[in-house]
Amino acid sequence: MPMTITRRRLLAGSATALALPALVRAQSGVKPRLTVISQWSAGSDGAAITALGKKFEEKGGIWQHSPVPGFTTEMMNKLRAQIMAGDPPACSQLKGPEIAAWSKIAPTVDLDNLVAAAGYEKVVAPDLARLHKPGGNWISLPLQIYSTNMLFLSKRAMDKAKADKIPVTWADFNDLADKMKAGGVAYPVANGGTRPDDGQKFEAALAGISPAAYRAAIVNLDEKALKGAEVKAAFVQVRKIADWMDPNVGAQHFSTNLKRFIEADMGMMIQGGWAQGVLRNAGFKFEDFIIAPGPSDNGKPVFLLNADAFIFWKRNEPDLQAGQTLMAQLVMDPAIQTMYSQITGSIPVRSDVDLSGAGWSDGQRRTAAALKDAVASDQAVLSLAHNMAQENGMTAAMIDVITEYVKNKAMTPEQGVARLSDAVEGAR
Amino acid sequence: MRKLSFEPSRVLIYLVVSLLAAAYLAPLVVVVLNSFRSNQEIAQASMIGWPKQWAWSNYAAAWSGFCVAETCTGIRPYMLNSALVTIPATIISTMLGAVAGYAVSLWRFRGDSWIYGIVTLGLFLPQQMRLLPWTVVLRDIGLINTLTGLVLVHTIQGLSFTTLFCRNYYAAVPHELIRAARIDGAGFFRIFWRIILPLSSPILIVTVIWQFTHIWNEFLYGVTFTTGQQQPVTAALIALSAAIADIPQHGVQSAAVLIAALPTLLVYFFGGRYFVRGLTAGAVK
Repeated sequence: MPMTITRRRLLAGSATALALPALVRAQSGVKPRLTVISQWSAGSDGAAITALGKKFEEKGGIWQHSPVPGFTTEMMNKLRAQIMAGDPPACSQLKGPEIAAWSKIAPTVDLDNLVAAAGYEKVVAPDLARLHKPGGNWISLPLQIYSTNMLFLSKRAMDKAKADKIPVTWADFNDLADKMKAGGVAYPVANGGTRPDDGQKFEAALAGISPAAYRAAIVNLDEKALKGAEVKAAFVQVRKIADWMDPNVGAQHFSTNLKRFIEADMGMMIQGGWAQGVLRNAGFKFEDFIIAPGPSDNGKPVFLLNADAFIFWKRNEPDLQAGQTLMAQLVMDPAIQTMYSQITGSIPVRSDVDLSGAGWSDGQRRTAAALKDAVASDQAVLSLAHNMAQENGMTAAMIDVITEYVKNKAMTPEQGVARLSDAVEGAR
Repeated sequence: MRKLSFEPSRVLIYLVVSLLAAAYLAPLVVVVLNSFRSNQEIAQASMIGWPKQWAWSNYAAAWSGFCVAETCTGIRPYMLNSALVTIPATIISTMLGAVAGYAVSLWRFRGDSWIYGIVTLGLFLPQQMRLLPWTVVLRDIGLINTLTGLVLVHTIQGLSFTTLFCRNYYAAVPHELIRAARIDGAGFFRIFWRIILPLSSPILIVTVIWQFTHIWNEFLYGVTFTTGQQQPVTAALIALSAAIADIPQHGVQSAAVLIAALPTLLVYFFGGRYFVRGLTAGAVK
């Protein structure tokens, strides 16, 4: 069984780690303890972190989780307060480029030996791995992945459009939307109105047109790429999408309109993989919708990565150090990732986890397959709308332009391009 | 009592006022209705609608059922935390504000207007700006992650408002009253206790309402300076709202919000009556 081998590897990893004098002290006779801060408190997120805590306790550890309800800012306030108070959590939830930014504020733990022992680096998408070792060493570990550009198709809207082919490219998508409109679907593209919503449409458009241009313009903020033809083409595509959306959706959560999506008042939804869990929990049936990777003009799947991770803060207490080692091992363990993703509806970070068994949904299998293909063709890129591509300030500046573009139909794609690069310049 | 008049202008005024009241109350009606609808029902129909089946269980879940990560206690213990912070902070800050307002309005001393100015400056500092200084203070006195620390924060933050309120109210008290009392041999605190305080119920009630509402509804300090099971009720309410792969828990959320709003509503309800009575006490002579 592959898992036993991994366990053994993990054991070997602990042995390597034990070679470090500090950790020898940490491991000798103390009960591992972990202080954790996360924003996961409600629903499946709360259930998943609770299950992880149980596993930690089963291994003989003491699990001290302090959920910080709310959004990322609240958790960061709490984290900052704890760091300033000289009492950083042994481990805290953090994601994207914020990992690099925060690692400059307080010392972190070097996890290289543990990662090497678990063979983790080989099974993590390269763009994702880079984020978690900002100074060259692993200081944080990704736990689960969502794709932000999955395409959800309403079965009834497909019937109205008399279509049965899942769109692959943006041209197919536009064609299908036109057919839906002609067939009586009032709004071929479903939408919500929260901040990531418009951003997700833009990133899906640009990455689908050219993942390379997306990486250059959005992730690396290359000036030429930001003003390039692909970014303009993305704005053109977003205009089409915006014209197909219901303009009367205010700042609503996308889930508010799920009924309209299922009943073919709205046709297609560009959403994160999590929408599958939302649809299921809202009581809708799998037969009512189809999930596919977002449109990609070169035909190969494009995967916009959104990943949750833990960062490990340096502590001198032996029991906390032992707890960090145990936690790192658990987070990288395929069995733990399986358990976690099956609760939340995400997919595991490890590309070697087998998703064929019961407990996984078709949507998750398709997402994992898309990730594998996207990594193989170097088309797995970091999501802007979900704070994976840029730090918070830069993300906010860019999303502001995109939201205005979606709402203000008088803005031309040329103006969109100019405003976006101005916003980037201003936020730099 | 006066007879109701049916002049056209009166009818128009009532019509407009009723419409405005209806507009203001509409969101509350949605929340109340949703507190009786299951999450699935809301997700499958629409945010606005009449309950198909009355889901009383939302209230049970809100009060003692829902989970914040590992702990499934509903909002009950968090309500207690909020009370443990709000009640002392409200009382202490109101009393200190009354004394301070009395001192700066009715006594002259060197730098009195400066002190008043500096105290009220606190009104203009955004909460976020004070977050880090408070972190340092709480760390140094060892009160970070304690309810006592939170009481201290809210008491001191509240002083700006309570001093301002009381000072403006006492400014209308005739100085002769104080002078007469001093001739009779009363000191600073005796005058406050015997003369000023008995005059103060309207402003004290306004201050208490203000402080209670603000501290009860406060979230940023509550979530930053406490941890886990000590968090205030606002943190528990937010905990219900953030889950990525779930439908928002609108039903339980609505019930929890209504329960959590009860204490402030009660303070308004009872305080408001005294408030009006206090205001009109001297009106008919």
